[in-house]
Amino acid sequence: MPTYSEMLPLLGVKAKSAAEYWIKKLLEKGTLEKDAKGFLKPAHLSLKLPIVGTVTAGFPSPAEEELRDTISFDEYLINNQAASFILSVTGDSMIDAGIFEKDLVIVEKGREPKNGDIILAEVDGNWTMKYFRKKGKKVTLEAANPKYPTIIPQTELRIAGVITAVIRKYHK
Amino acid sequence: MSEQLFSLRSWPRAIVHLDGDAFFTSCEEAIHPDLKGKALITGGERGIVACASYPAKKLGIKRGVPLHEAKKICPGLIILPSDYETYSLFSRRMFDIMRRFTPDVEEYSIDEAFADITGMRRALHSSYEEIALKMKKEIERDLGITVSVGLSITKVLAKVGSKYLKPAGMTVIKGRDIAEYLRDLPVDKVWGIGPATTNYLAKLGIRTALAFAQLPENIVLKKFTKPTVEIWHELRGKSVYPVSTEEKSSYASISKTKTFAPPTSNAEYLFAHLMRNMESACIKARRYSLAPNKIVVFLKKNDFSTAGSEAKLSRPCAFPLEFSDIIRDLFNSCYCPKDIYRATGVVLLNMEPDTNIQYSLFDNPLQAEKIRGLYNVADELGQKYGKHTLHLGSSHLIDKLGRGRRGSPTSREQTQFKGETNRRHLGLPLLHIKL
Repeated sequence: MPTYSEMLPLLGVKAKSAAEYWIKKLLEKGTLEKDAKGFLKPAHLSLKLPIVGTVTAGFPSPAEEELRDTISFDEYLINNQAASFILSVTGDSMIDAGIFEKDLVIVEKGREPKNGDIILAEVDGNWTMKYFRKKGKKVTLEAANPKYPTIIPQTELRIAGVITAVIRKYHK
Repeated sequence: MSEQLFSLRSWPRAIVHLDGDAFFTSCEEAIHPDLKGKALITGGERGIVACASYPAKKLGIKRGVPLHEAKKICPGLIILPSDYETYSLFSRRMFDIMRRFTPDVEEYSIDEAFADITGMRRALHSSYEEIALKMKKEIERDLGITVSVGLSITKVLAKVGSKYLKPAGMTVIKGRDIAEYLRDLPVDKVWGIGPATTNYLAKLGIRTALAFAQLPENIVLKKFTKPTVEIWHELRGKSVYPVSTEEKSSYASISKTKTFAPPTSNAEYLFAHLMRNMESACIKARRYSLAPNKIVVFLKKNDFSTAGSEAKLSRPCAFPLEFSDIIRDLFNSCYCPKDIYRATGVVLLNMEPDTNIQYSLFDNPLQAEKIRGLYNVADELGQKYGKHTLHLGSSHLIDKLGRGRRGSPTSREQTQFKGETNRRHLGLPLLHIKL
């Protein structure tokens, strides 16, 4: 509760007797009441909140307010931790997809490829990384470089996994 | 085996034992797909076969066979150095997949684990057999290796099951079928029964696991020690050993040994390795906030005999700099210039938590605190740049004369990506495929 001197500007009056007049009115109204020792206190608050202690005044830091849960790059790049492997890229068959020689790709084993996924597969005995294209029952492997023809598997197609991310570091 | 129908419930417990098939070579095949189906072994650097692929096994090449013999049997045999980095990654992933089904997974060795799936039927909407099968299939699908699985009501029986059909097998041993699986099982093939017990049982005319399990209880209690009695119970379907998931939160002792090639009698080089062992052991102790009261130092000669010495420290201490003179004395008492040594080792014993260590009358607390601060920095650098980034001068000969590594570098070690160092690699297995 403010002191009588502090109340003067709050109540817009210039004399302590005027403040007393308004305090009396508030007491009559029931907004204020006197406690056992005769000191003024609010009779009730519009919100019934227990007062549990002091709070330091100040503005909350904007940065803290905006903080979200962070995810690490591991969590961001790797979907199924146990089934993810890394592969160093050789060749330029997927450069139009942004995958260049010496890039690192993350291969997720055991994942069912969808049309348009980039997959790692063994086709007729050779390993390759291509777009997986499925039309009905027909599967073809498409490169991302006009130099390379689309592959239609003849004898066998073994899909090792789906490429879920490509990583390229420019500096150590 | 009517005596063993002590429980009317068909599954008093449901325990899975999962075992990697030819684990090391299977991992190699998973990252080197061109090696699939070939006669392949790992362990080239040790001079003996550590693990043989199934095609190699078929030719008679198995674990423990000397390398020259293996090459005679199969001249085209593919020999690889052990790539523990990759095997550890696969191992951890295998156990993580098992943990998708139950938190109660006990990692028994690098390629074996027990899982307790008792009570998980409702949560996973599957029978115990289906759960075990799913576990197996998910590992095979996600990792590209095969595993064999045993499902039963005790750990010992689950282990019998996983061995029963290999590779890529799954065997379910229900309570009422126990006799079937023990009938033709030699008693020494039971987990926990070693050569001594086997010989003793043979004297009693007992050669099969079933005969052992059918012995009356009073005889078993009279003639055998507690561990063997426990195995007897487990074979009969009474679960004695729980699946314990306790992660190592503390160590009673820590040891570090290093075998190097070629064997040497160079005292300073040997001492350098010894100090490196001691530093590694102490790094581990500090990681668990422990300090040893006693240290042991030993040297292994070329004939595999060891010479060792131990010392009690004036107070628990995990900072080798403080007792480097003691290490030197212990080394001198083991070392003989005439001998050739192949390995050095240390053991830290009587470990204690490293808080509130009282200084004795003869200690110099100021010095000790300085050393503690120094090791704090060393540990921080170690975390960032790799262990032994900052190390004692006495181990510098390792940098100069080489780590004495045996065998050629693994294929993983030959590839280093931007940002990786010799000591710090990305935590995913590398596929060795040329596109």
